[in-house]
Amino acid sequence: MNIENRRYVIIAFIITVGVMYIFRLFYMQVIDNSWSDRAHQISEKRREITPPRAVIFDRNQTKIVANKTYFNLMVIEDKMGLNFDTLAFAELIGWTKQEIHERFAEIVKGEGIYYNRHNNTRISNYQRIRPYPFLKELTKEEMAKIAPYLDAFPGFFEEETSMRFYPYPNGANILGYLSEVNAREVKEDKFYKPSYNIGRAGIERYYEKELRGLKGVHYVVRSALNNDVKKYEDGIYDTVAQQAPPIELGLDIKLQAYGERLMKNKKGCIVAIEPKSGEILSMVSAPSFDPNLLVGRKNVSKHYPQLLKNEDKPLYPRPTQAEYPPGSIFKLVQSLVGLQEGVIEPNTSFACNKSLVGCHNHPAPSSIERAVQYSCNPYFYYAVKRIIQQGKKNSVFKDAAIGLTLWDKYMHSFGFGEKLQSDLTGLRSGIIPNTEFYDHWYGKHKWAFSTIRSIAIGQGEVKMTPLHMANLAVIMANKGWYYDPHFAKKIGENPLTSFKKHQTMVEEKYFEPVISGMWRVVNEDAGTAGRAQIEGLDVCGKTGTVQNPHGKDHSVFIAFAPRENPQIAIAVIVENAGFGGTWAAPIASLMIENYLMKDCKHPEKEIRVLEANLLEP
Amino acid sequence: MRKTKSLINNLDWPLFIGFISLIVFGLITIYSVAFNEEFPNIFSFSEKYGKQIMWIGIALFMGIMVFLIDSDIYKKYAFPIYLATLSLLVIVLFMPPINGARAWLGVGSMGIQPAEFAKISTALLLSKYVSSLNMRALSPTNVLLALLILLVPMVLILLQPDAGTFVVFTAFFFVLYREGLTFDPFLLKFVNLIPKVRFKQTWLGSHFIPILFVFVFLSIITLLFGERNIPLIPGLKLYGSVGIISTLFVLGAIATFFVQRFGLKRAKSKAQLIIILCFILGSAVSLTVEKSFGSLAQHQKDRIELFLGLKEDPNGKDYNRNRAMAAVGSGGLLGKGYKNASVSSVRTNHVPESETDFIFCPFAEEWGFIGSFSLVTVYIFIIVRILIVAERQRSQFNRIYAYSVGMFFFYHFAVNLGMNIGFAPVIGIPLPFFSYGGSSMLSFSIMVFILLKLDSQRRHVLR
Repeated sequence: MNIENRRYVIIAFIITVGVMYIFRLFYMQVIDNSWSDRAHQISEKRREITPPRAVIFDRNQTKIVANKTYFNLMVIEDKMGLNFDTLAFAELIGWTKQEIHERFAEIVKGEGIYYNRHNNTRISNYQRIRPYPFLKELTKEEMAKIAPYLDAFPGFFEEETSMRFYPYPNGANILGYLSEVNAREVKEDKFYKPSYNIGRAGIERYYEKELRGLKGVHYVVRSALNNDVKKYEDGIYDTVAQQAPPIELGLDIKLQAYGERLMKNKKGCIVAIEPKSGEILSMVSAPSFDPNLLVGRKNVSKHYPQLLKNEDKPLYPRPTQAEYPPGSIFKLVQSLVGLQEGVIEPNTSFACNKSLVGCHNHPAPSSIERAVQYSCNPYFYYAVKRIIQQGKKNSVFKDAAIGLTLWDKYMHSFGFGEKLQSDLTGLRSGIIPNTEFYDHWYGKHKWAFSTIRSIAIGQGEVKMTPLHMANLAVIMANKGWYYDPHFAKKIGENPLTSFKKHQTMVEEKYFEPVISGMWRVVNEDAGTAGRAQIEGLDVCGKTGTVQNPHGKDHSVFIAFAPRENPQIAIAVIVENAGFGGTWAAPIASLMIENYLMKDCKHPEKEIRVLEANLLEP
Repeated sequence: MRKTKSLINNLDWPLFIGFISLIVFGLITIYSVAFNEEFPNIFSFSEKYGKQIMWIGIALFMGIMVFLIDSDIYKKYAFPIYLATLSLLVIVLFMPPINGARAWLGVGSMGIQPAEFAKISTALLLSKYVSSLNMRALSPTNVLLALLILLVPMVLILLQPDAGTFVVFTAFFFVLYREGLTFDPFLLKFVNLIPKVRFKQTWLGSHFIPILFVFVFLSIITLLFGERNIPLIPGLKLYGSVGIISTLFVLGAIATFFVQRFGLKRAKSKAQLIIILCFILGSAVSLTVEKSFGSLAQHQKDRIELFLGLKEDPNGKDYNRNRAMAAVGSGGLLGKGYKNASVSSVRTNHVPESETDFIFCPFAEEWGFIGSFSLVTVYIFIIVRILIVAERQRSQFNRIYAYSVGMFFFYHFAVNLGMNIGFAPVIGIPLPFFSYGGSSMLSFSIMVFILLKLDSQRRHVLR
């Protein structure tokens, strides 16, 4: 080849490279999207803004769950510089130098280690250029002590967060608490990211979706140092975070607080319900604790183990989960079933035959009213025997099976033996023994009423939660029907209508004699709950004493008031307090008085209750 | 007066306008990349755009000075100038290192890089020496001396170390190739040892340089797109040699089509043979490189991967190359719009050195394929235009110098753009007249103005 022609080789070479580059650029920029995706991944960040959780009001529009601003002290190690005065910083936050080094080590450790399969290396996920919380959940006051001096410590800055705040130290068992989501929850619901909070119990848990609100999304262009540089596309894709509308509860926080005060130094519970709506006015689980103890990671890790270890189990939601034999209050139900079945009349009388079942001394139970008033055990032995053994079969065993099946249906119509529908989680059903239950226990057709007679007076196998007991008071007050007992009334401006009305199998007319009995229990001298009497109010109630194989009997009392147009139905259980009339009845009456009269006309009664310490030594 | 007029008449305006457009677009891009809201004025000398304007001013002033000097002195004083820059290259080795390299002379930001000016002086001396040779009777000594002129500054530059400029110096091999000064004399000595063989030249010896460069290019591409890295064609997941061979096959098929369709009848079979040979040779090179790389010891692999920018740095960050490619690729057809580079602006800083070595990133991101196509076209136009200017010179000195300038341009363009699109390892060399930086601006201006001056006086030179 002629040397002069070599110029063409070179020019061809140059033009080839140019064409190749143009093809490559066309491919990278126009055809292949993967580089563009990579660029989005590198330079843009989707920032989610979580709104503060919805606030919660009680029935009198008192704010009972609010949010409070807290601060995290953040650190970017890379910005701290070489001349960082660790000693002065330690002094500022009241730590030692050693503790600061330990905290850094803890942050690095918490980030974990990334294992690179390709070159077999391990790299810490911790990055010096990223912000990490150094101190978490500082209050405004704590931050105010540090903030003015932060200028001297480059790399440290404050960041706002919002956490729950409970203006009243009451209702912890109702409101529940928040804690960090677990891996499963993050996987199941895209709303959550690690370190988000989720409702763990009570209202916070049941209404989680209604409380958490709508997240806002901001798309930002970020720098290699992970700082936001500007809004992506001037923010046209951004959405604003929306706080959910407030929830209004049927709870009366003042009554709740009063109830918790009364139950101090006692174990047990109070459940008060507005009969006509099923709204729960108060639900005390004693011993109780301040819900603010479980706000934020710092508090939870400090207080939760303490509460868990406490022998009196303050974390145990007794009103919905503790199952007690109902005791004598069960006689109300038995009377109603007997009347409805026509096996007894209002004026039916039985002898108080103490050889059948033990009883205390009282005048003869000449009618249902009197039997309820005196809480006569043999009376109900006879009455229930008539319900169970109706003589429809010749075999006493087969007859008992038919009778119990019928009785079981009645019980379920009262909501017993099943979980009540409510806006609470973890409800227990209690136990109503049916034929299967006894067949399993004794064998088919091997039992009769005499075998299972203890159910007549609410002992033995029958079990109920305090919520069931309060619901029984509601049924008595309403003469035969109840709404699902619940807390939430309104979400925003919308009343909740999902709670159903239930009718029992007992007609309204049969309630009158039993309610008269309940009135006599409280308002007549021979009644068992004279302590529940309130001047000017027709309180109707029934005591119960629950035999406790582990110690002193539990004191039980259910009531409603006033007799006409009842406003409150209540159940009180005081563990290991003996006879129902002694402690449960006065506590119930104080609650009713507080709710209906807004004051206390019998301070000596209040003082007696407040001063009592019924905890076992 | 007459002199000025003749300069205006004889100036190669297409080339001059090409340079000016590069400078303007470079400045516009620097203004976008390094924009500081506190100093929005483009003449803010505290900011990089202001400084670049200052450097442009100084460069124009130097250009006028170059025009005023009689062009004869370059040939006359080529050797003293060469020696002077060599001594600067020695002195610079005793300076404190900046960013790990002893490349800077001077104080702070006002320093210069002697290596940049060594390019010009080497080009001048090489032009002078080669133009004095009798090309019809080259001896191996001539070739050795020419190589020596190149190797002395190259070794000094490698000691700094400045791999980029070192690589750029290999551009001279193309110049030597054009002038017919190749390794053929050495090869002939061996070939003619065989009895009864008496070649005047060998094909391999004459075209050794371009063949070598194609080999090097194929090897680098093979390794850059090797397995567990970025695939050559992402959708197809073709890595390394498989990717190269399939690409070559497609290109070969296209070339065959054109040859069969449009080729001259008598040239068809020869052209076809060359295409097949190229395909086989290319595939062989690619396979060999991959296999031999695979058989290297781990520490040797590490060293090569580090040089090619394939090794992850200790911070666990991604490669510069990956970031740069993401920035370029995200530009799309029309780009994100001026001042809208989100990956490669200095404010986000995802692409390091985005106002100097990686300035093509923000440009391609903001102006899209339309912009990058135009820029590649302008560069190729300028380079080819320089070669056309070179070929019209009557004096061999002028031609060799012009070829050197053209090949420098080509190298800077090919390597700089190549590292932005994944075709070249990350070697820090600037994009001429485009990147921010005084040394590069000054040295390229002087280099180009000398060329323009020589060209404007080409008719004065007698054959």
